[in-house]
Order: sequence, then C-alpha cells, then structure tokens
Amino acid sequence: MKTKSLTFLLLLVVTSVFATTEFSCQGQSDPWTPQQLLAPADLAKVLNNPKAAQPIIYSIGMQAIVKGSIDIGPTMRAENLNTLKQKLGKLPKNSQIVVYCGCCPFSRCPNVRPAMELLKSMQFTNYKLLNLPQNVKVDWIDKGYPMSE
Amino acid sequence: MRIFALAFALLLMGGIHSALMAQPTGLVLGNKSPEIKLTTTKGDTITLSSLKGKLVLIDFWGTWCAPCVEEQVDLARLYKKYKLASFTNGKGFEIYGVALEAKKPNWETLITKNKINWIQVSDLKFWRSPVAKAYNIQELPFNVLIDGKGFILAKNLHGKELEMEIGKNLIK
Repeated sequence: MKTKSLTFLLLLVVTSVFATTEFSCQGQSDPWTPQQLLAPADLAKVLNNPKAAQPIIYSIGMQAIVKGSIDIGPTMRAENLNTLKQKLGKLPKNSQIVVYCGCCPFSRCPNVRPAMELLKSMQFTNYKLLNLPQNVKVDWIDKGYPMSE
Repeated sequence: MRIFALAFALLLMGGIHSALMAQPTGLVLGNKSPEIKLTTTKGDTITLSSLKGKLVLIDFWGTWCAPCVEEQVDLARLYKKYKLASFTNGKGFEIYGVALEAKKPNWETLITKNKINWIQVSDLKFWRSPVAKAYNIQELPFNVLIDGKGFILAKNLHGKELEMEIGKNLIK
C-alpha cells in the first residue's frame, strides 16, 4: 500500500514538473520580444497621419482589414508563407514592417509564429507584430481604427 | 368623469405603445434575437426568422477557429438526436451555422469534410460581418439558443451544458 502511494506521489510530481516545463517553454518560444509588439492605437495614429512614415503592413491571417495592409493569407500555409518570403526578399533589411492576423489570441493563432520566425530568420531589423490580444474585431474594428475599403 | 376617461384612454394607448415596443432585441436572455439574413455556399438566402417554430442553435464559428471546428462533431451528434424532437417551445431542432469566413473554398471544404448537414450561411466578411457586431461577438466559438418564437434561451453554452439546456425544453 505504502509503495503504491509513493509511486502515485512520484508520478504526480513527475507529471507536474513536465507540465510546468512544457508551459514555460511555450511562453519562451514566442519568436518576438515585448518591444516588438505594436499597440493598435500607435499604428492607428500613424495611419491617420499622412505626414508620418508609413510602415509596410502585411495581413498574415484571413482578411486584410487594417487600412493599407497587403493580403498575404494565413501564413500557417506554406504557400502563403512563401509569398511573404518573396515579398520580403525585395525589401531592405531595415524596412519598417508590421504583421498582423487577429483571428484569435496569440496563444491560439497558427499564423503569427511562422511569419515572425520568417522575419527573424531573414534578419530584418525593424519589424513589429500588431498587438491584437483578443482579435481584430475587438482590438481594431470596434475601436474605430482605420480599415481597408 | 371625462377627465378620467381621457386619462384611461391615454394610459391604454401608452400600454399598447409599450407592448408594441416591448420586444427588445439584443443579447439578453428573454430578448428577441436580432434577425440574420445571410447566404449559403450556393447563394441561397436563409433568414433566421424563417426557422420560426423550431428550437434553434445559432452557432458562430470559423474554419480558422480550432475549438469551433472540434465542436462541429458534437453539434452533428446533437442535430441527429434532437432534429425531430418536440419541445415545449418549439417543434424540431435546427442549427443555423454562421461562418465568420473571408473566402468560400475553406468553408465549403470543411462543410463537406465534416459532413455538416444543417444550415450554413456567411457573408464572407470575417470579423467585419455586421452580424458579429449585432451579436456583440467578442470571440469564437460563440452560440445562442433561441426558442420557436425567436426569444433567447441561453448564450454560449457548450458540451454537456448545451445538451442539458436543449434537454430542459423537451416534451417528456
């Protein structure tokens, strides 16, 4: 009986250690830094100011909703990621780039990681991820920020 | 006496007016669900109000939303089980699937793959859909259960909770 309880306890400890490790790894594996997250209000301000230097904005999700953004399609698909790669290949490494998806929170989004990893691997120096914590409706459309036609 | 009669008439008119106005739409339980008029993959228009008389689950989903896609399996089971059932507030059960999609092919593929045999509609406007605004959708999956008269019985129930809510309305 004692051995059984001990084994169970040991299993529980091992499982929880693994669970914690996996969780923390997932957090660490985000291919962006907090400084690379761009607040929607800041982008909206730039878009509303014709005199401001405009970034190149790529929609890497379902639909190009942000004003002036280029529709790449979901970058979870290899063909769309390749399209993005080709477009990026023509740009100087210090180009001001913004990517966004906005389907759902980052933890569930299949598109933001492949795109941010690509930008990192191509050694771009000035790229940001639009911070849409919930989705593009709540964090962009509902706020009345500029949208594409 | 005349004054009383006038006051009574005014009160009565006020009452009728309130009764006419007293069908607030909006996402509060007991309110009338906002009308939806969207098209199927084949281009046919189906309104939510055309399902009057049935218990209806309005399922907001998207092919890009993993939990929504997973839930379709459970919805298929519920649909089969309750489609022809009689409820205290509706005869038969229908699912009105509203897809927040941007392009038709993904949506069509998933309907075929998951053998979805209930109503599927979309305006292909993704999160810009006026329906997402009308139903104040904050995230997916999201659903609304309405009775035969279109009044909201429940919001955003899933799994066992959803089945219990449907079961509660069954005629035993």
